[in-house]
Amino acid sequence: MSVAPQSYQLSDYLEKLPGTTFRKLYQQPSTAFAIFRRMLPPLAKVFVQALLYMPSPLLLSELDVWVRPEGKMHRDRALSILRSLHIIQITPPGRDKPQEIQLTTNFKNSLRLALEGGGTHNSFGVPSKLPVDPKIDIAHLDNYARKKWEDILHYVVNSVPVHGEGGGGGSGGGPKASVKELLLAGRLVERRPDTRGGVGITQAGFTFLLQEANAQVWTLLLLWLEAADHTKAAAGEHAKGPAMPDSIDMLSFLFMLASLELGRAYDTDALTETRRNMLPALVDFGLIYIPREDPRQYLPTRLATTLTSSASALRSVSSGFTAATANNPGDASSLGIAPEATSKGSIIIETNYRLYAYTSSPLQIAVLALFTQLNMRFAGMVTGRLTRDSIRRAIGFGITADQIIRYLASHAHEQMVRAAAATGRPVLPPTVVDQIRLWQLENERMRTMAGFLFKDFDSAEEYLSLSEYAEEIGVLVWKNDRKRMFFASKFEQLRDYLKSRKKAE
Amino acid sequence: MPAKRKAPATQAAAIKAGRTSAMSTPGPATPRSIDDSSVMSDADEDFDEDVPEEQKRREEMLTKEADDFVNKFTFGAKRLHGQPDDKGRRYDAATPFFRKRDFSHLPLKPDHQNRPLWIDPDNCTIVLERFNPLAEQATDFLITIAEPKSRPTFLHEYTLTPHSLYAAVSVGLRPKDIINTLDRFLKTALPDSVRREIEHHTRSYGKVKLVLKHNRYFVESVDAEVLQMLLKDKEIGALRVQGSNEITTSYAPTMGGLVIPGTQNAAGVHQANLKQAEKKPGEGGDAPNEADLFATLNEEDDDDEKEAVHSFEIADINVEKVQKRCLDIGFPILEEYDFRNDDVNPNLEIDLRPNTQIRPYQEKSLSKMFGNGRAKSGIIVLPCGAGKTLVGITAACTIKKGVIVLCTSSMSVVQWRQEFLKWSNINPDDIAIFTAESKNKFLGSTGIIVTTYSMVTNSRERSHDSKKMMDFLRGREWGLMLLDEVHVVPAEMFRRVISSIKSHSKLGLTATLLREDDRISHLNFLIGPKLYEANWMELSQQGHIAKVQCAEVWCPMPTEFYDEYLRASARMKRTLYAMNPRKFQACQYLINYHEARGDKIIVFSDELYSLKQYALKLKKVFIYGGTSQAERMQVLENFQHNPEVNTLFLSKIGDTSLDLPEATCLIQISSHFGSRRQEAQRLGRILRAKRRNDEGFNAFFYSLVSKDTQEMYYSSKRQAFLVDQGYAFKVITQLANIENTPDLAFATPQECRELLQRTLVDNEKGAEDDVETDDLFGSKPGRGRKNNKLGGGGGGPAVRRTAGMLSELSGAQDMAYIERNKAANKALKQNKKRGAGGEGQSAFFKKIQREKEKSKAQARAG
Amino acid sequence: MVRAIRGVLIECEPAIKSIIVHLDSANNDIIIEDLDETHLVVKENMVQVLKQKLDDRLKETYRPEEPLEDSE
Repeated sequence: MSVAPQSYQLSDYLEKLPGTTFRKLYQQPSTAFAIFRRMLPPLAKVFVQALLYMPSPLLLSELDVWVRPEGKMHRDRALSILRSLHIIQITPPGRDKPQEIQLTTNFKNSLRLALEGGGTHNSFGVPSKLPVDPKIDIAHLDNYARKKWEDILHYVVNSVPVHGEGGGGGSGGGPKASVKELLLAGRLVERRPDTRGGVGITQAGFTFLLQEANAQVWTLLLLWLEAADHTKAAAGEHAKGPAMPDSIDMLSFLFMLASLELGRAYDTDALTETRRNMLPALVDFGLIYIPREDPRQYLPTRLATTLTSSASALRSVSSGFTAATANNPGDASSLGIAPEATSKGSIIIETNYRLYAYTSSPLQIAVLALFTQLNMRFAGMVTGRLTRDSIRRAIGFGITADQIIRYLASHAHEQMVRAAAATGRPVLPPTVVDQIRLWQLENERMRTMAGFLFKDFDSAEEYLSLSEYAEEIGVLVWKNDRKRMFFASKFEQLRDYLKSRKKAE
Repeated sequence: MPAKRKAPATQAAAIKAGRTSAMSTPGPATPRSIDDSSVMSDADEDFDEDVPEEQKRREEMLTKEADDFVNKFTFGAKRLHGQPDDKGRRYDAATPFFRKRDFSHLPLKPDHQNRPLWIDPDNCTIVLERFNPLAEQATDFLITIAEPKSRPTFLHEYTLTPHSLYAAVSVGLRPKDIINTLDRFLKTALPDSVRREIEHHTRSYGKVKLVLKHNRYFVESVDAEVLQMLLKDKEIGALRVQGSNEITTSYAPTMGGLVIPGTQNAAGVHQANLKQAEKKPGEGGDAPNEADLFATLNEEDDDDEKEAVHSFEIADINVEKVQKRCLDIGFPILEEYDFRNDDVNPNLEIDLRPNTQIRPYQEKSLSKMFGNGRAKSGIIVLPCGAGKTLVGITAACTIKKGVIVLCTSSMSVVQWRQEFLKWSNINPDDIAIFTAESKNKFLGSTGIIVTTYSMVTNSRERSHDSKKMMDFLRGREWGLMLLDEVHVVPAEMFRRVISSIKSHSKLGLTATLLREDDRISHLNFLIGPKLYEANWMELSQQGHIAKVQCAEVWCPMPTEFYDEYLRASARMKRTLYAMNPRKFQACQYLINYHEARGDKIIVFSDELYSLKQYALKLKKVFIYGGTSQAERMQVLENFQHNPEVNTLFLSKIGDTSLDLPEATCLIQISSHFGSRRQEAQRLGRILRAKRRNDEGFNAFFYSLVSKDTQEMYYSSKRQAFLVDQGYAFKVITQLANIENTPDLAFATPQECRELLQRTLVDNEKGAEDDVETDDLFGSKPGRGRKNNKLGGGGGGPAVRRTAGMLSELSGAQDMAYIERNKAANKALKQNKKRGAGGEGQSAFFKKIQREKEKSKAQARAG
Repeated sequence: MVRAIRGVLIECEPAIKSIIVHLDSANNDIIIEDLDETHLVVKENMVQVLKQKLDDRLKETYRPEEPLEDSE
């Protein structure tokens, strides 16, 4: 299983699924609803809403009534997304009949159910009838989820070698072994005997660290789904083992979790066996909480309930955590963590490359240390500087300039955001952004490739025929007809070709 | 300040100790953190028996892991529970990133959010939140006690240094004021180490003052013990004036009643006489600034009982000896001038003109100088164009005694006198000029003399008139010595000026206290501490100086040039990166672009060879060390008033003291290595831009650098100071459509090769040593030419030649350039005779005009 | 007679090429063939040394990082 260096997104995953899978997925109203909420651009939502209660298919041409002529691009994009998610069907263009559009049956039925309520599908979870411990409130869940999640991030970030410290990777504690296995399988970290913890971060791991919290959760969950598919496939090939979790049902369950209410307890008995088997892992990820006093209850945490929220709402994941921090008596104020400072972005980057981050979190500091030369640390604030060395080091890890810039932008302190809004300028100083890119470009000034230089041809024909052949078989890297030279990445086939050519003469 | 640190070995031990104890001592009495392990289900709680065995184990594991995690990473638990090391420090997972600079163990005050400062207890670095409600007051305070290091937009950094503390004490702050105020602004309690540093460095500073009272020098102190100690010192004791054995005791002065002219207070005094309101509409908001912290502190002083001061007398001739000795034993002497009680020196009739009002920051800087009613010697740092001259003039109007002004060039001598006449009511007969051309004295009993450093320090080849003038200057006692551009003058020169001319107080003025030789500390002791340093960005935002867009343009070198560059000597390398044809094109492009926008452009080049090549090829006027005074004036006048002359090439003689408010764009093609000072000064040339308050106006500052050469390194080094002032340099790697520039120079490889060959030939054997001795603008007219002759006679490679002899040493090609240059200058002269523009246009401008039209036509066609 | 020479093709900016040529000029032990403004072939065993030397050379065109602890 390989992971693209760029963030692995839910949409990427879904696009690979076959139509039958979608039909199964859309049997669940919660899934249809979640996809509708999270995956669709505004115009696509408009289309879906319009089609939802139409008794018969609509002429495709009539869609244009809702779209301004200049919005054709948006229309096409919306239709393409709807099609790839198997939400709509469009009849093929034919001579006698104009094209028609309608929602796919399962999606339509499920979304109607989701919106109207009713039915016995239990798609939105069955609340537990048992009493819930009053101590388990939202703040409690937030703390719990945050600890769980940071635990995982720490394991990844600690596999970065600290200056002169050697790899601090995953030594002691850390997430559960199964989570570690998952991180290894997903190649966010890899085994490296030379580090203290035995694991080192990979390029995908850096990408993971620099993602927004919600994207991180999805990345891990999708790795988990893929791993499940793999195991199942492997098991299917060999022996008939116990029923493996079905990734489709797993995905449906995740969508269901996203529709649950934060702070409410749900009944585990109402779950299918597949889903019950998922619970331990979800506990490990911090998506649900199971009270020790009553394991027949499970409570979704904010990590789960925000899974399908829109991007702006996602900000509230961290702010929710922080609010919880502030509410806890004797914590924030005595430790001096300004809650409102951390509730939004925390980073200030100045035009002279000095960086200030209002944070106390060792995790965030460790992430900053990936590309910042840190300098001083106070209670609730750290200072540092972006330098050529610090950025190049990050680039050496496989982090890209764009990732760093995106991270800085998405974590920008409200003072920066406010100043930018007031002056109409970008949030990050453009000169700093440029410089980070220029530092990256420095790394790309020279490319090398091993191979063979062909020269001293006896004749123009010989040169032409061999260089053409090299091009044909895809080994030609560079050539100059005037100089009668070329460079090829491989040698053997060309030698054979030359021999046969000589023989033919 | 050196940090007192323990060996790092204790650190690792402390980490371990911290961890273990974090797990073992979670007491119920301790405040709970959200990350405290107790939020997980407590391990000793009863299990629900219904829970399957498997799940129980899982949950147990979970709890254990979470506990480990909590204890390992959380910021809360450990710092609350962990055992501190011997310095009270505790550590967590992020600590190693900071090595010894993790100060998160310093507890925040409960209302820390209302306090704007952090401090590093080891290095005394202070971080200031500019967006904090108390930022303004804190900034006023910090600028008095600390050295500004970084002043961009949101967070500023300052450092406490011995010098900055010395300055703080010298303007009247007492150690306890510094400590209490700092503590008030800090988010944490003031660390003991910082308190000790402040006490240590302020203990001796400012304790001893040198006061010229009734024309006699007194060593003065509020601390009788210190004075006793000095008297017991062998050297100093012996220098006390005999017969005045007793220590005199009097009372310390206060600002009481002193009004600095041009300030709000002064305006109040004047109000009765003036009908029109003084305040400009925009300045109303500045009034509360007056009640700055600093003033408050002084008021507090006033409330105290008057402090007794003790003093003993020393003879005039021993002043320097005593100063030196006091410095050696760690009690540097401050100079103060009680001018209001000086009955010996006659008063000068001078005041600011009634409608002159100084700006808030000028007032602030002067209030530091006159804080206690006496004049303190020191340095005021204001960016170019921010009105340093007016600050000097206001100081003169406050003291109202004889003034000597020292400038870096005869040009600025003239400018200073004009400014005095413009801003003050001084009788023109009372202000005289002492330069090579003019050796006037004032006629009355006292007055103002404006001169240059070199006039009063150059002892060789002095004319009879000069000697007489020097005797005049030496024979008097001056109330105030104004030292312009103190950062460019060698410390030795100051020493000579200061030892030969006796003044009661000295005020140094400069735009940057940067010296690449780090000799600033010398200035501190020769002139006095830095009294004030303005914030560039703030002045620019308030419209006092122009807003500037800065850019660094990267110019790749054509391969032949670069090959040559790699092989060349250091000297030739500099010439080559200045003569890079791509840079030339960039310069041409930018000139075209900005002339079309209506900008007036100054192009700076340290490299004389390239200065001339550029100017001649682009047919622009230029001034360098060898240009005669008359020609300079002519060129400058044309640049200022002639709409046909919009670009002026300047050698480094134009770095300072050149006031060209018309200039709105600056292009740098070659500069002095990594000189941060030069960069700041050059930027200063456009800060005064007349059009600065036009809606949306921006001045432009371009630095052209040849890619992959040392110039890149120097360039970023040069920018360091400005960048820390908040300026941002945009890197431009490509100028859009540069290839469409009409008549683009060196557009073909052939032309580039010719340029390279010519450059190499012209600069071989150090033919042009490029040393401009005439650093001070126009100080010695005609000297360049004289040197030429000398150089030409010598001929050998050892003889240092000035740029002027290019024509004699290099081939006919250069001769042609010189001829053309002469033609250009003649053109200006003729032009002047006939009146600017119109029919009187000289051939030179006609030609330019023709070419312009031609290129316009081409552009239209193309 | 046609020859095939083992080596490493370097594709780079002209300035980088100039530096490589300059470095080679000392002992002529790096370059196998100078192809054009942006390409050359160098000996395989010299690539690491070359990269190091090139880095050293380019370092003088960048500002060295100032130490953050600007203690007086």
